[in-house]
Amino acid sequence: MSSRVCRTCGGSDIDVDQARGSAVCTGCGSVLEDNIIVSEVQFVEGSGGVSSAVGQFVSADGPVKAPLLGSGFHTSVGKESRAQTLQGGKRQIQQLGSQLQLNQHCLDTAFNFFKMVVSKHLTRGRKTEHVIAACLYLVCRTEGTPHMLLDLSDLLQVNVYILGKTFLLLARELCINAPAIDPCLYIPRFAHMLEFGVKTHEVSMTALRLVQRMKRDWMHTGRRPSGLCGAALLVAARMHKFRRTVKDVISVVKVCQTTLRKRLTEFEDTPTSQLTIDEFMRVDLEQECDPPSFIAGQHKAKMQQLEQELARKLDDVEGEISCYKDEIETELEKSRPKLRGIYAAYTKEIDPEDAEVLSLTSDPEEPEVEDKELRVATQQLTQDFLCQVIQEEEGRGKKKDDSNKEPGSEKDVEGSQRQATPLAVILGKLPTATSLGLQPTCDESETREKQDDEQSEGGELDLDGIDDQEIDKYILNEREVEVKTELWMKQNAEYLKEQKEKEERIKKEKEQGTYKEKPKKSKKKKEQIEASTAGEAIERMLEKKKISSKINYEVLRDLNSRGTGSGGGSSPSRASSDPPDVNTATRKRLSRRRRKKSSDTNRDLAANASIMGKRVRLLISSTPKKRKPAVQAEHSVTMTTESATETTTTTEAAAEVTPDPEPDSSSTPAAPPTVLEEEEDEEDEAEEECVSALQLVGDYGCEEEEVF
Amino acid sequence: MDSSNDDALDIIITNVVATFRTRCHLNLRTIALEGTNVIYKPEVGKVLMKLRKPKITASIWSSGKIICTGATSEDEAKLGARRLARVLQKLGFKVRFSAFKVVNVLAVCSMPFAIRLIDFTKKNRPIASYEPELHPAVTYRIKHLKATIQVFSTGSITVTGPNVQNVATAVEQVYPLLFECQKPRN
Repeated sequence: MSSRVCRTCGGSDIDVDQARGSAVCTGCGSVLEDNIIVSEVQFVEGSGGVSSAVGQFVSADGPVKAPLLGSGFHTSVGKESRAQTLQGGKRQIQQLGSQLQLNQHCLDTAFNFFKMVVSKHLTRGRKTEHVIAACLYLVCRTEGTPHMLLDLSDLLQVNVYILGKTFLLLARELCINAPAIDPCLYIPRFAHMLEFGVKTHEVSMTALRLVQRMKRDWMHTGRRPSGLCGAALLVAARMHKFRRTVKDVISVVKVCQTTLRKRLTEFEDTPTSQLTIDEFMRVDLEQECDPPSFIAGQHKAKMQQLEQELARKLDDVEGEISCYKDEIETELEKSRPKLRGIYAAYTKEIDPEDAEVLSLTSDPEEPEVEDKELRVATQQLTQDFLCQVIQEEEGRGKKKDDSNKEPGSEKDVEGSQRQATPLAVILGKLPTATSLGLQPTCDESETREKQDDEQSEGGELDLDGIDDQEIDKYILNEREVEVKTELWMKQNAEYLKEQKEKEERIKKEKEQGTYKEKPKKSKKKKEQIEASTAGEAIERMLEKKKISSKINYEVLRDLNSRGTGSGGGSSPSRASSDPPDVNTATRKRLSRRRRKKSSDTNRDLAANASIMGKRVRLLISSTPKKRKPAVQAEHSVTMTTESATETTTTTEAAAEVTPDPEPDSSSTPAAPPTVLEEEEDEEDEAEEECVSALQLVGDYGCEEEEVF
Repeated sequence: MDSSNDDALDIIITNVVATFRTRCHLNLRTIALEGTNVIYKPEVGKVLMKLRKPKITASIWSSGKIICTGATSEDEAKLGARRLARVLQKLGFKVRFSAFKVVNVLAVCSMPFAIRLIDFTKKNRPIASYEPELHPAVTYRIKHLKATIQVFSTGSITVTGPNVQNVATAVEQVYPLLFECQKPRN
């Protein structure tokens, strides 16, 4: 109704007629607009005088194809995958949200988050459950509702840390900064659960004050807010003379006893705990405490310091003792019989070598020290025990000086170990040697970086700094290998058995020709079902897919077996053929119908094989239920044929199943003989009756199809 | 940039993880039976070999890929890796030492002050994330350095990064931020 000016006469008085859809100038009569588009609701009178609005309901979520198949479908037919995902997500959000008692606004926000997540492709590789839980928790945090991540994980029975990981990732990707959790938020909720009756509010207030005090005392950083709340509520309850035990509080707050006790002891350590109840309610102490973990850390540091001091004192004391001991031992030596003969020669030999060693060890630049010391070590090992003892004593005296020079020695020969065995002395030397050995290699490795690059490309192994003999220790000799092999075989006997069985199984399967390479868990591509006829294809597919959980297949089988009247032995043999029987029966019906139809295979349902599956499922599910008396079966078939939409879709679905229209004719003669052979009499009768019903109904079915 | 503190902060490297390849197929059973200090895990398909001298644990796969963990410096990691390759060579495999790369470095550092975590999180909103329900520390991720810092309320922090240099840079970067949010000592 725009007040425009007429082009011809300039008059502004324009009459717009909605019924005719035209705008006419009242001055000169010229038609300004014709066929105005109106956005009004139109009504149509239906049968029986009922007037209904004209139009279709279109969903707000994304583009949806107009539902061609009439109104009764609630399963998403012909929608895009994205819309399906969103719809599924919305449903789940509503479900979870209602369990958490979230209001509608929160749920809508959560759904918006979910939409954002989907558009950023963050749902890939994650369970929708987890993503939805994370979205809901995000909403809870931004709105400040007293819901914990633990609640969500309880509902979903999922580990809370997994949910937390998803939540953190989403928050990061969506750039949503969730405000930090305040333990005060949870107090009213927990207080309510603890059932304080009339006094709930007072207890909550006291608990809040306690929590605030805890915050100022730095007990809340890095801790779960629920633990703090639990402690605060426990104390508050006791203050108001409610007998709530630790167990009650734990069951509500969901922390363990130890945590609660710990919080209580920490609170005990703060000066606030010394106040009386009245004082606490009135006064707020100025002083703030350090966080408990910080105090614990400081405590540890103090203990370490004390220990170090003690050790030092001990060393001093021991130094004195060792002096005394040395003096005593020298005295003893003098009184001991001297070694004569060969042994004297040995002692003389060792001393110069010791001296050599000592001089070498003081000279850190030579990496050859390692070899020399090893030689010395081997020689010492082979000597007599007496000589070793003497050398030990001599070596000890000199060794003290060595270890003072070398800070890197691992063994404390100086003070603590008085019972140094010969091996220990020798081993004590080795680490020092290697520490020396390491230094040069480290220096060399820095200079050799360029060489390394070249070598790494070539792949050659740089043998500098690697002691072969030491490496040899890492490899067992033959005898050891035998022993270890035995042990290992015994230990892993089960595993080896499993492996053998697996191999045998694979061999057998190879022979049979049903060998599958590595059973993969996710089969996204549908396996090509190879079959000579369409009937066989359906059989196999239906065998693989467990069509419906609502069908009791055993009863189905029993029904079929009951029909024979022959008794027991028939049913097991029939069992495998029964599902295919049902399918071949239906298939036959469908094929008959299809024969009547002229051509028209292209339908919108070409999109999804799954939809086809659903259709067949529907048909199958509808028929067995009504199949109890076989007579009713064909009635159900007629009923299904009469309900226009379903049968046409099923026929179309069936049409989709057959890739070629031609083998159809061949399949139909194939199907009846197979059917006749396998099925029992009653089924044959049902089959025949079905056929007759179909023939009766056939034309009707064709007409329906032509409409579309 | 020099660190803006008077006393030097001790950054202690506690773990260095490195990988390398031997460019040849390894028979795990042979290694398991003929080596000392080995654990064979047939279900997973790897052998764990522990060296004593640079204290290193290596996971050896039959494809020839080896992961070395437990070293306390990058050089030590390389030395350990070479030693390990030598052992395998002696066992009879045609081992070639190639593609050595330090993958992860974990370091621990201790601040002389306590830190207010909530303040810290608020000031560094998208980069720092704090979930007390899940973990007691604030996670601070520096994207361009590819380093992650976990800040605890006691003032100790753990830093993980692809190499030692990045770790040191990360500590230097985060120090002033931590200093701002320190808790005044009583």
